Amino acid sequence: MRNKKKVINIIYHTIVCACGIIMIYPLLWMVMSSFKETNTIFNTATSLIPEKFTLENYANGWKGFAKVSFATFFKNSLVISILATIGTVLSSSVVAYGFARCKFPGRKFLFAAMLASMMLPAQVLMIPQYLWYQKLNWVGTYLPLIVPYCFAIQGFFVYMMTNFIEGIPRELDEAAKIDGCSYYTIFTKIIFPLMVPTMITGCIFSFMWRWDDFLGALLYVNKTEKYPVSLALKMFCDPSSSSDYGAMFAMATLSILPAVLIFFCLQKYLVEGISTSGLKG
Amino acid sequence: MNKTHKLTLRQKLNTEKAAGIICTMPFLIGFLAFMIIPMCISLYYSFCDYNILTPPVFTGMKNFQRMFTDEVFYQTLAVTFKFAFISVPMRLVFALIIALLLFKSTKMTGLYRALYYLPSIIGGSVAVAILWKRLFSLDGLINKLFMALGMKEPISWLGDTKTAIWTLIILAVWQFGSSMLIFLSALKQIPTSLYEAARVDGANSWQQFWKITLPLLTPNIHFNLVMQMINGFLAFTQCLIITQGKPLNSTLFYTVYMYQQSFLFGSTGYGAALAWVMLALIAVITWILFATKKLWVYDGGL
Amino acid sequence: MKKKVLSLLMASAMVLGLVACGSSEPAASNAPASNAPAASSQATDNGGAAAEDVALTFTWWGNQTRNERTQAALDLYSQQNAGVTFDTQPAEWNDYWTKLSTLAAGNSLPECLQMDYSYLEQYVSAELLVDLTPYVESGVLDVSKVDPGILESGSVDGKLYAICAGVNAPSLFYNKTLLDELGITLKDNMTLDEFKEVARQVYEKSGVKTDLPYAAGDNYLPFLLRAQGTNKLFNDTSLNVANAESLLPGFEIYETGTKEGWIIGADVHAELTSNSVEQSPLVYFSSEATQSWCGFFWSNQLSAMVAVAPEGMEIGITTWPSDDPKQSNFLKPSQFFSVSRDAGKNEEAAVKVINYMLNSVEANEILLGERGVPASSDVAAAISPLLDETAQVVTGYINDVVTPNCSPISPAIPDGANEVYNYYNELVDKILYGQITSEDAAKELFEKGNIIMNR
Repeated sequence: MRNKKKVINIIYHTIVCACGIIMIYPLLWMVMSSFKETNTIFNTATSLIPEKFTLENYANGWKGFAKVSFATFFKNSLVISILATIGTVLSSSVVAYGFARCKFPGRKFLFAAMLASMMLPAQVLMIPQYLWYQKLNWVGTYLPLIVPYCFAIQGFFVYMMTNFIEGIPRELDEAAKIDGCSYYTIFTKIIFPLMVPTMITGCIFSFMWRWDDFLGALLYVNKTEKYPVSLALKMFCDPSSSSDYGAMFAMATLSILPAVLIFFCLQKYLVEGISTSGLKG
Repeated sequence: MNKTHKLTLRQKLNTEKAAGIICTMPFLIGFLAFMIIPMCISLYYSFCDYNILTPPVFTGMKNFQRMFTDEVFYQTLAVTFKFAFISVPMRLVFALIIALLLFKSTKMTGLYRALYYLPSIIGGSVAVAILWKRLFSLDGLINKLFMALGMKEPISWLGDTKTAIWTLIILAVWQFGSSMLIFLSALKQIPTSLYEAARVDGANSWQQFWKITLPLLTPNIHFNLVMQMINGFLAFTQCLIITQGKPLNSTLFYTVYMYQQSFLFGSTGYGAALAWVMLALIAVITWILFATKKLWVYDGGL
Repeated sequence: MKKKVLSLLMASAMVLGLVACGSSEPAASNAPASNAPAASSQATDNGGAAAEDVALTFTWWGNQTRNERTQAALDLYSQQNAGVTFDTQPAEWNDYWTKLSTLAAGNSLPECLQMDYSYLEQYVSAELLVDLTPYVESGVLDVSKVDPGILESGSVDGKLYAICAGVNAPSLFYNKTLLDELGITLKDNMTLDEFKEVARQVYEKSGVKTDLPYAAGDNYLPFLLRAQGTNKLFNDTSLNVANAESLLPGFEIYETGTKEGWIIGADVHAELTSNSVEQSPLVYFSSEATQSWCGFFWSNQLSAMVAVAPEGMEIGITTWPSDDPKQSNFLKPSQFFSVSRDAGKNEEAAVKVINYMLNSVEANEILLGERGVPASSDVAAAISPLLDETAQVVTGYINDVVTPNCSPISPAIPDGANEVYNYYNELVDKILYGQITSEDAAKELFEKGNIIMNR
């Protein structure tokens, strides 16, 4: 019996590992390419290990361009992504609570509007949005990249959290109501603490998406010193002149680090859920 | 702030209606302030002859009529439907299987989850584009693998109109991490007491999956389905950076065509019209998904 | 104006703050906080500004080298001209045009911008660029050292809108090492038949194929048609050719190459980034079947090509093949500098900067012809000793091979032309896949092209 369990365990780990390596191979390729000499990247693309290990790409890439180094770009990206993520997650949680637990006139309509707002391609809204933010005098600042997200503008998160709250037993609300809690204190005392797993998921997604977003930055940021990483990365590859793929791979590798770190730090909350203990009661 | 007022007001505010309205207020404000106006402007553009550089001129339904005779429009629509209807279900199945595999908590779980989630982090960067083309090239890894398994001639995956779209589909499936995370956090939400009770009743893990896990996951499956469908139809980056529609428009996504019309061909009005047609199509599909929701989505209390 | 921006910003921040409080929403506390850094940085921008100070925005597309050199040249200008500061906005080619058109829609184009020949006509006809002629007359902008033909290419309807930032010419890069091994020598100004013969020979002897322009109809189609006397391909509402036969030369060579097997097919290109130097089959290949002995490029890309060529491969440069080289060949500004209509009161300051980029030897000692051979002959001569070997070769090619044997550039293309070129690329694809004959392709291009232009 014990042996059988051991065997199953070994099989499990082997399969998960093997598939994991297939999943991760392309990423490994990118990381290893960043250590290759830039003019050999394509000709040695089939081999993973660099013939000659070099850190030159990192040095070249990090110095950035127009006298602005990647340190600045990273700082800018962090400011934008963190603020927008906090704004998104907090505002979405409140709105999601409203949708999930309260019936009110216009609820369905508002929910439909939220879904509809996700159905237009971002590219088609670019120009009208630009014109609108220009009217607000927000062009040239980070405001268009942060403020809208503080108003739960991304239906994805609201919908995701609504779904999650609907999975929390209503008995908890009822019990709290009997204890004299208002709708608002039910949210802050009961629901909000139970939402940790979904908020963590939200943080991971939002951070990653804000970090990768370059379209907004392209239009609204008008100084090299204010560029975020996503925009700076694109400038290593200009098809009309020449490209520095080595530096691009090096900086691309660095640029996924924050998202990876955040994932590693936060993912354990997906395992050690605080939620189950509350649910049992 | 409101809560500090008189008791009566406080009571008024503490009704279900009021709470609902107040809680969803941020979205309403955000929607009105940042979404509705740009959306209306773009709707207006769709009825105009507009090329960004010069002011729009109202032309009525001309842009919409143009679609009927536009072969590429139909072509891209077909490509997009194919892409969405194949990649989305595959993605969800993978995400669910892996989530179930990784839900089990061992010392390695954190690492494993990272392994499977990382591909989603690199998203649609230029690095992925280069890499993906390398993988599927004539002398790439995929061909080498198949040759080792006994295939005689390497296949030009990207150069053949039949196979090229599959490279994009596989890319989409490969990046199933976001759906996986949602499933993981949903699995976390299922009370362990249910499983304990089932075990007492003598249910094996297969039965537990069908009777407990899957039904309780259906709301999340539905959510993922709706979101991924929307994303699938609006897929953009993969095509733009990897295939640009080649070969012979067999991988040209609808949104990329819309982008070309808007920004490269100087038909921004037509591009806006295309976008609104897409919105209508997605809305219909989403409506169907919601209308059939009660047939298969579990919504009882626990 | 900027002060107004600031006060409005503050006001909107406050309003936002109030709205946020009213909605009793936890996230809202972020809004004022996130406003603060942006608002304060705005303040510092304006803070020290004296009356005569000018802040100009300069935008361009390009790579790291260009970004660095341009920034350095502009910094030097700031040093020499107290009070002039720059906000620089480099971008990648595709993003650049997306951004520029959006800014145009918002009437907020940067004062100084880099312009491309293919967009010039559209921007001029939308009245987005400043006519520079008065500044030439008043002497603010000195164009006396620029070749009249090159200067003319920045003009539309007799008015000067754009100043050449560097001279370029179509160039065929070839694998000299390989051709030497095979005992083939190329001469400048090859005809199409001579070129095809070389292609056949190389293919027979070594199995190496020939890479014709792919997804580059905007460059290649006009070049081919110029040899037939079609200098201007587009009217405002139609194609400027009498019949489908006139378009035939645009397809024939692809058909021949496909039939005879020496052309690099569309399936190979599907694995590459089109028109990039790094992934040209000339330098990037896995076997003879994906290797080319040549590549169609522009002269200012030679340095990049030499840099990525495998060790031991010598890259040569010659003209694109044409049956009438003198008719086909032309000098083209690789890019222009223009001043936008939205420059307003900074217009003259912006023109001065462009004059500096054009005529200052100091500036060009920093720029080092990265955008192409400097348009001012004085500057070109002055920096020539500083150039490396490859850049010298390019200068020699432009001055000795192309300049004596070329015709003026074709007129800038109107709205809609890009869609026609895109359709041409599709048709070439079909020929490469053997799905259509060149006659049918020419017919379809003629029909559909006229429909597109007439829209």
